[in-house]
Amino acid sequence: MNGIFEVNYAAFSVFAALLITEIMGAVGLLIAWPSRSKILDYIVPVWEVTGTFGALWVVTGDFAYPALLVPVSSIFTPLLIVFLILWVARGASISFAEFITKRGWFDEERLYKSYAASTIVLGLIVLVLLSSLVGGQGVNLTTGSFSLVSWTTAGSIVFIIGTLLVAVGLAPVLFDLSALRNLTIPLTGLGVALSVLSYLLMSAGLITPWMAVPVLLTLAVGALYTRQRTSRIVTNKAAFLAVLSIIIFSLQPLVYPKAIGQALSIDAVTTTGAMADAFFSITVVGGLLLVLMVSLYVLVAMRGPSGPDL
Amino acid sequence: MSVDPGSMLSFVRFLFAFTIGSHILLVSTSISLILLVSITEFLAICKHDPTYDALARKLSKVFVISFGVGTASGIVMAVELVGLFPSFMTLVASTGAMALLYAEVSAFFVEVLALVLYVYYWNSFRGRYSHWAVSLFIVIGTLASAVFITMVNAWMNTPNGFDVSAFIGSGFKTVTDVEPFAAFLTSSAAAQIFHVLVTTLFAGTMVIGAYFAYWFVKSGNAEEKAMYSRALKILGAMAIVTIILSGISGSEEMGSLLVNQPLKYAALDGNVVPGTNLPDRFFGSVVNGSYVGGFSVPGMQALLAKFETGVTTLPGLSQFPANTWPPLFVNTTFNVMTVGGLALGLFMFVFFISFARKRRPYESRRLLYIWIPAAILAVMVYQLGWATDEVGRQPWIVYNVMTVAQAANTSDALLIPGIVIVLFYLAVIPTTFYFYSRIFQGSKKEATA
Repeated sequence: MNGIFEVNYAAFSVFAALLITEIMGAVGLLIAWPSRSKILDYIVPVWEVTGTFGALWVVTGDFAYPALLVPVSSIFTPLLIVFLILWVARGASISFAEFITKRGWFDEERLYKSYAASTIVLGLIVLVLLSSLVGGQGVNLTTGSFSLVSWTTAGSIVFIIGTLLVAVGLAPVLFDLSALRNLTIPLTGLGVALSVLSYLLMSAGLITPWMAVPVLLTLAVGALYTRQRTSRIVTNKAAFLAVLSIIIFSLQPLVYPKAIGQALSIDAVTTTGAMADAFFSITVVGGLLLVLMVSLYVLVAMRGPSGPDL
Repeated sequence: MSVDPGSMLSFVRFLFAFTIGSHILLVSTSISLILLVSITEFLAICKHDPTYDALARKLSKVFVISFGVGTASGIVMAVELVGLFPSFMTLVASTGAMALLYAEVSAFFVEVLALVLYVYYWNSFRGRYSHWAVSLFIVIGTLASAVFITMVNAWMNTPNGFDVSAFIGSGFKTVTDVEPFAAFLTSSAAAQIFHVLVTTLFAGTMVIGAYFAYWFVKSGNAEEKAMYSRALKILGAMAIVTIILSGISGSEEMGSLLVNQPLKYAALDGNVVPGTNLPDRFFGSVVNGSYVGGFSVPGMQALLAKFETGVTTLPGLSQFPANTWPPLFVNTTFNVMTVGGLALGLFMFVFFISFARKRRPYESRRLLYIWIPAAILAVMVYQLGWATDEVGRQPWIVYNVMTVAQAANTSDALLIPGIVIVLFYLAVIPTTFYFYSRIFQGSKKEATA
């Protein structure tokens, strides 16, 4: 077991879970604006935390794999530039939208939709990046470059469709959209099947017995939502986020012990010695602070509703 | 040191300087803003004053924007560093500088979770003091982030915690004898943190104050004026304290340079040759090995240096190889910064005297008219201070270890994305400041409706 990888991957799992839930909400904002209040109640306090976990993932990644810093950034430069611009656009538009009051060209709806569009495109870029990190599609490690043409394979396309279907299938659970309850199982099931197929298309070696864990957990969330009695368990936003994080965390065999189409050994590029010790020491102190702040958050959030205090 | 201004190396330098110059505008207002919010809410509770209370609520919303855009911009800078200076970032990732960045993210978590609680759960706290206490977590998280990131810069100025000669000897390939936590205690850190924090606070305070000064003068509504007056009262006090500390910390910082970076010190003070009893020189230039033009204050430099550090023989450029000299215009940027700082100090002194005589300077139209250009000057001085520190370290990116040219990625492929980033910042910064105002004004209309 590589403890440094586990910490970095755990940070990624929470970040990805938060981002996926934001994408679920973003789709809702674009196609069902009148019912926005249910979505915004969730997104508005959470979007800042997503960014923080994103930063945690990037920084722990830099710390964990110093030798990968240059190759990864040069391979993905074009994707990263677009990602960064969308990242600022997303942060700017939602923070402006939250408190804007005057009606005009730059009104609340336009700003929230701009946030939603930025977040969805940003999510797609992350998926392209992840499919490359898993299967190595489009990546040329020798020249240190990325080609979108080479990336366009059956494995990558099915990977994105499968993930999006899982997200669309689980969105009614997160926002408790009971009218769409019957779509949850078919969409999630199809999404899971396509995701597994995409891993198979990328490399047969990616399919291990461990894959049963995320598959069963994902289907369980959908199944629990179909019954009135059990739906309350999964519509609890904290529980949903926790399960989604666990699902993503359990997908780690896709990139460990080998990533980028089984071409890169993670253990071989992980930092060692005094830097590894420092990594764990700061993780413990930072983790304690995080637990303290999250406990405070839970304590206060249980008392009253969230939402901008306009 | 000569660099072709049309080269990719120059573009890379410009791009990062532009990005950081834009980013620190957001940072300085952000840090001052959260301190202002915290003080305002504290006064609202102590004085049972609804105007202070309304002001704190409005300002907290502006802070959310500042935080949202500022952190996104910070992430852009972090990724940009990897793309523009890959060899530098590989060194950072292999040494204690990385530990500082990780610690910064931990501080960031404290800040963000406290912010979410503070703004979105304002009415869910049982006592007002409990709610106010959460603002202290935001202040601590924000300041700790600033401290850790300044420590990284201090490490660039006085690198430690690894075997430098082995690293250079290996052609920048092998980092050995790493002591990650040594980076937390570099010899230049304390002075730099002190100076960066107080000058950042001062610049941000002046900018926010300029906004309120403008609206105080312009507004005819008594209720609005009462709110602006309260904000200016706090900001005036913050500006007085931080300008005094800026002067003290600036002096400390020069003392630190004298000991830790004597070449930078010599360039900033325009010392061509070393010596004792040297004057403070202003607005001249180094031509053919001597300092010409401008004016000087005899013995002043030597006096200050002796007072700050006890050192009597001051360094000169001639002690160092000419190819390691920074661009000598840093003497001018340093002079403008010093004179600008003195002018701002004078303005705040007048403000203080007026305060002491109970003349309500925060409601004086004359002083508030001066505050607005003073804020522009404060931003200019702040930016020049940053430029002086960075350009003064040239040609090094990590002092005496790695030059910028050795660290930079000079691929032509960076040109288009770089231009896109510049254009993007040119749009984002004014839009963000516009929205600060619009959100505050929008909230104001709502509150007074």
